This record gives sequence, structure tokens and C-alpha cells, in this order.
Amino acid sequence: MIKFLTENAIYIVMIIVLIVWIGIFFYLLGMDRRIKSIEKEMKGEKNEE
Amino acid sequence: MYWKILLFVLMVFVSIAGITFPIVDKPSAWYEFPFIPGLGENAKIIFFHVPTAWLTVIAFLMSCIYGFRYLRNKNLNDDVKAYVANQLGIVFCILATVTGAVWAKFAWGAFWSWDPRQTSIFALLLIYGAWFALRSSIESEEKRATLSSVYSIIAFVTVPFFIFIMPRIMTGLHPGSADDETSGPIVNFKMNENMLLIFFISLIAFTILYFWMWYIGYKSILLKEKLQKNY
Repeated sequence: MIKFLTENAIYIVMIIVLIVWIGIFFYLLGMDRRIKSIEKEMKGEKNEE
Repeated sequence: MYWKILLFVLMVFVSIAGITFPIVDKPSAWYEFPFIPGLGENAKIIFFHVPTAWLTVIAFLMSCIYGFRYLRNKNLNDDVKAYVANQLGIVFCILATVTGAVWAKFAWGAFWSWDPRQTSIFALLLIYGAWFALRSSIESEEKRATLSSVYSIIAFVTVPFFIFIMPRIMTGLHPGSADDETSGPIVNFKMNENMLLIFFISLIAFTILYFWMWYIGYKSILLKEKLQKNY
């Protein structure tokens, strides 16, 4: 495994890029959800008034 | 929701295919890239370098459009949208510069050689950097929005010149320069069909990503302002 990766270092690059992308994606997904829930809450408050 | 899954899958595909597909002299299978003389393995960075430059143009165009809209409707939400578009524009502009410099190190021999393309993107960074300086120097909200809208409209006039015209009429190292024998759109340069396919998938994925980031950016600023007014 280690021998394969040292000979084909491009796969390490790919793994790092994938990790970075998955991190960015789930960060954005979390932000998206939070914004939607806050918007929902604010709409609910308006209706109560 | 579906487009988020699509974005995730497309980007994963681009990362895997764009980075690991082998470069061979005579591509026969669908997963093989052609060998481009002078570039070799370096050619793969094109899947990440060009989309960032493309998003820079889109973001600056959007800030120009929302600048127009603000000036017509005087709606501060449009100013926020232009602001976020400019933020993303400058981030992607820096990314394009950095990925370009890394690529230049291995293709041309130095990180920075004041190639027409590098000079023009540097000027672009200065122009849009000044936009943020202008914005942060004005207290009044309406005045700030008006001035930055006018500035982003004027600044966008320079974008086609710096990105599309100037690097093409001058001789330089970047593909598409005046002395480049393939001189046409940069996209045409010696890519075969499957490389072009992955390239366009990458462009689509980055464009979706940009619009998502832009949406989250302006929504969060608008929510913050609303909360500050209410509480």
C-alpha cells in the first residue's frame, strides 16, 4: 500500500482534494440548513405578533 | 436538494477523473488524456485553474448587474448581493492567480514573470481591492451603496479588456497569446473529447458552487441585518 502510494503520489493529491471538497461541501450544507431554520423561525414570530 | 447532490457528485467526479486519469501519448480508452507537449502532467491543473478564472468574470459581472439594479431601485438588498458577488469574485481571482502561479512555476520556470496574463490579473486584483477600500471608507449606508455600485459598474468595463483582450493582443507565454500558433479560444488547445468533457463538467460544477456560496453569503448578511433591526 505505502509502496504503491509513494510510486503514485497523484493518488495522495486526489485524496487530499476529496477531503477538502467534502469539508467545504458539508460546511456549506450546514450553513444552508441553519439559514433556512432561522428564516423559518423568524417567519413564525411574525405570524404570532 | 437534488442539485446539491448533483454538485457533490460532479465535483467528486472531477477531482477523481481530473487528477488521476493517466496521460498517454495516444489515448485509446475513454479515461486517458492526450499528452500535450510542454505541459505533460501539469495539464491537469486546467480543471481547477480555468473555472476559478471563469467564476471571477461571472462574479464581477453579477456585481455590475446588481450595481445597476441598485441604482435603479435603491433597494439595499441589491447592494448586499453585489457585495457578496464581489467578495467571491476577489476570492476566486486570488485562487486563479495562485493556481496560475503554481502552474507557471512548472510550465514556464518561475512563479511570476509579468506575463501579460499575470499583469492583467494583477491589475484586476488592484481594481477590485480598491472597491473594498472604497466601501469601508464610507459611513452612510445609502451613499456607500451608491458609490460602490457606480464603482463596480465602471470597474467591470475593464474586466473584458484585462481578461479577454489585452492578453490576446500581446505576445506572452499563456495559451491564447498573440504569438500562440493555436491562437483561438484557450479551450481549444489540444484537448481531446474526454478531456473537454471533464473540463466542462468542472466548469458547471464550479458555477453551481459559486451560486450556492453567493446565496448563502447574501442570505446570511440579510438575516443579520434583519435581526439587528428587530432586537
